[in-house]
Amino acid sequence: MGTADMATPETILNVKDLRVRFRTLDGAVEAVKGINIHVNAGETVAVVGESGSGKSQTMMAAMSLLASNGEATGHVDYRGRNLLTLSKSDLNKVRGAKISMIFQEPMTSLDPLYSIGNQLIEPIRRHRGLNAAEAREEALKLLRLVHIPDPERRMKSYPHEMSGGQRQRVMIAMALANDPDILIADEPTTALDVTIQAQILMLLAELQRKLGMAIVFITHDLGIVRRFADRVYVMRQGEVVEEGEAEAIFANPRHAYTKMLLAAEPTGTKAPPPANAPVVLEGKNVEVTFRIGGGFLAGEPLMLRAVDDISIRLQRNQTIGIVGESGSGKSTLGRALLRLLPSDGLIRFGDRDISTADRQAMRPLRRQMQLVFQDPFGSLSPRMTVGQVITEGLLVHEPNLSAKQRDQRAVEALREVGLDPNARNRYPHEFSGGQRQRIAIARAMILKPKMVVLDEPTSALDRSVQKQIVELLRKLQADHELSYLFISHDLAVVRAMADYIIVMKQGKIVEEGPTEAIFSNPQAPYTQTLMNAAIDVTRFRLSA
Amino acid sequence: MLRYVFRRLLTAIPTLFVIVTMAFFLMRVAPGGPFNQERGLSPEIKANLEAQFGLNDPLWLQYVHYLGNLLRGNFGPSYNMPDFTVTELFAKGLPISVQLGASALILALLIGSVLGTIAALNQNKLGDYTVIALATAGSTIPTFVIAPVIQLLFGLTWKLLPIGGWGDGAFINKVGPVLTLALPQIAIVARLMRGSMIESLRSHHIRTARALGLSDWSVVVKHALRGAVLPIVSFTGPAAAALLTGSVIVETIFSIPGVGRYFVDAALNRDYTLVMGTVVVIAIFTIVFNLIVDVMYAVVDPRVRYD
Repeated sequence: MGTADMATPETILNVKDLRVRFRTLDGAVEAVKGINIHVNAGETVAVVGESGSGKSQTMMAAMSLLASNGEATGHVDYRGRNLLTLSKSDLNKVRGAKISMIFQEPMTSLDPLYSIGNQLIEPIRRHRGLNAAEAREEALKLLRLVHIPDPERRMKSYPHEMSGGQRQRVMIAMALANDPDILIADEPTTALDVTIQAQILMLLAELQRKLGMAIVFITHDLGIVRRFADRVYVMRQGEVVEEGEAEAIFANPRHAYTKMLLAAEPTGTKAPPPANAPVVLEGKNVEVTFRIGGGFLAGEPLMLRAVDDISIRLQRNQTIGIVGESGSGKSTLGRALLRLLPSDGLIRFGDRDISTADRQAMRPLRRQMQLVFQDPFGSLSPRMTVGQVITEGLLVHEPNLSAKQRDQRAVEALREVGLDPNARNRYPHEFSGGQRQRIAIARAMILKPKMVVLDEPTSALDRSVQKQIVELLRKLQADHELSYLFISHDLAVVRAMADYIIVMKQGKIVEEGPTEAIFSNPQAPYTQTLMNAAIDVTRFRLSA
Repeated sequence: MLRYVFRRLLTAIPTLFVIVTMAFFLMRVAPGGPFNQERGLSPEIKANLEAQFGLNDPLWLQYVHYLGNLLRGNFGPSYNMPDFTVTELFAKGLPISVQLGASALILALLIGSVLGTIAALNQNKLGDYTVIALATAGSTIPTFVIAPVIQLLFGLTWKLLPIGGWGDGAFINKVGPVLTLALPQIAIVARLMRGSMIESLRSHHIRTARALGLSDWSVVVKHALRGAVLPIVSFTGPAAAALLTGSVIVETIFSIPGVGRYFVDAALNRDYTLVMGTVVVIAIFTIVFNLIVDVMYAVVDPRVRYD
């Protein structure tokens, strides 16, 4: 197809000189700066970029779904008609019928107050004018099409009774209800566990083969692009910086930004510590049980064992990666080991038994065991300067320091994490996600800890920023002989960071061992599923 | 669900008991008694009265007697209006207060919701600013200003409404008091509705509904409104308990023979039995309406399940 770069007669969606502006208190912000994108019938197009690139806003503008302060100009021609100038009623004959869309947030994209059946039937009746019984038959057919088990029963279910993966299947069913020409998928799998991601992507590919619609993937995930897309648009700061056939772009990226994106895969490995390295933290038969419900006249409470009989041994200068999908208990384990949650079993820190240590007894140890969270936006107090945020721990643990000495330590800590020391006089909201995560790391490092629990520290970040954070964490480990407990669902990052891996499922360890052994020769069926899903879908194809 | 309601009603019993006990003893801590009026009764008469009502018994015995009577549904006689029992006073006044309060509440919910929705759909435009301005005015102007203004304009100047009185429950007599009661509530409901509707309209599933090409009516009424109504439901519980048990100001200004006056009058006169009666009635209303709210929650939102 030599015509891939140009609009052809089979072009069904043609975006020409699209601009999107948002009116804000600081004046107008241009999110999309005059871009051209086209989609041909039946093909798969990927729009790739990091957060803030305008990739989502492009498609939101095309569907007239911009926030109320947003405004789009230019052309979004669908079969010759400009969607941007269509009347609302004409537009509503296209949306959901000819062009439909699925979103990143399967947990919140369905109306929680109506049953699945009710929500599926509504667009069918609206666009096809079927009666209730016919629409119900159609809805059942759609649920079967997206492989929802027991569709008769599921029609009566409410969204909160279904898993994220099943909700995304329902979203897909709704989007395909009226046999659209184009399905826009805005980060459709980003919020899902890796095994579910693979299933949803396979489902989309299967449906495309059966129904022949074009798919527009909006994604930050180059693995998806490589595996599924025919053509790619790479976006950055509201502009398309590179476009072309997927194969060509992966083989021979021309723009520096594309090259950077492709190189942003975390690489490298971590050598294990010497066998006789001292043990920093040890847990034996650790168990955490949550009590749900119960109380006056309410019957027996439900006991949920979130961490079930887990033993772990973390040596100096070691990184143990704890891998698992959501609900596997990996974060709970991390918190229990830091004694932030009540648990059963034995926990030793150095040569001290801390299994029963209370808050008071733990306090002097806290500086040596630090925690960094996933959410760089929520975990820094917005009302404190960065300097106050990172020196707060010093007030507790080194109360004898003068204000000047604390400030000096803040300067050192910020330098160490690669931030300008002047940052300490500013507030967290002035920083990007990656910078905030550096601040959170500085807050932990200023206390000179022996071990740090890193709970998904890179998951909320763009790939290129992830790589920088991984490198920072590695450098800090080398400089200070730190021990890390690295909790993550992201196998690529874990592989680059950890020398030992524990795979968790439903609170139990299903497999553990040195990183390379786990990756090259997984034994447990669950680990194999996890690896295959990751390899199938995404990242590993890029580097391996 | 039935089990839940039953359980809630059971837990209401100890709640009521605590309220009654606290009110009983707090009332007695206040200085004075029902027969210490300015006019002054001769000591003999006062002693006779106190003996007749058992006020000379030790406090714990009075408390036990009161509880015993209460369990048999007997609120006792009113000390200051000795021709009536407390039960009779409520039987006469409560239906009047409930009628006025319920009408005001329904009016407030209807008008407030519509205004709030209009404001939310026109966020930061003229319609929105108008509603916000009205709501601010409605919630800042006190009832004791609104009521005389209504009397002055509708009663004296235009002669559309009677100035006051119950008129045996004639519709025209209710308009003034109901409006006065409703206006501040309309303002509160409108503001609540605006806020929750704006939030609801921004939610992801509304984006989905729009992306599916559903009509504006369906997007706004079926999907956004039902979710937005939940804060209004929680507001309605305490608001109903407060409105239905009468308002001193409105009943005094419009000379309505409701029960709203009793709380203040009785407290000032140390009319112990009447105060206790009012406390019990308000407590029961509060408990029942909060229960109704929680049941309504489950009806509107399938995620809320009891048992």
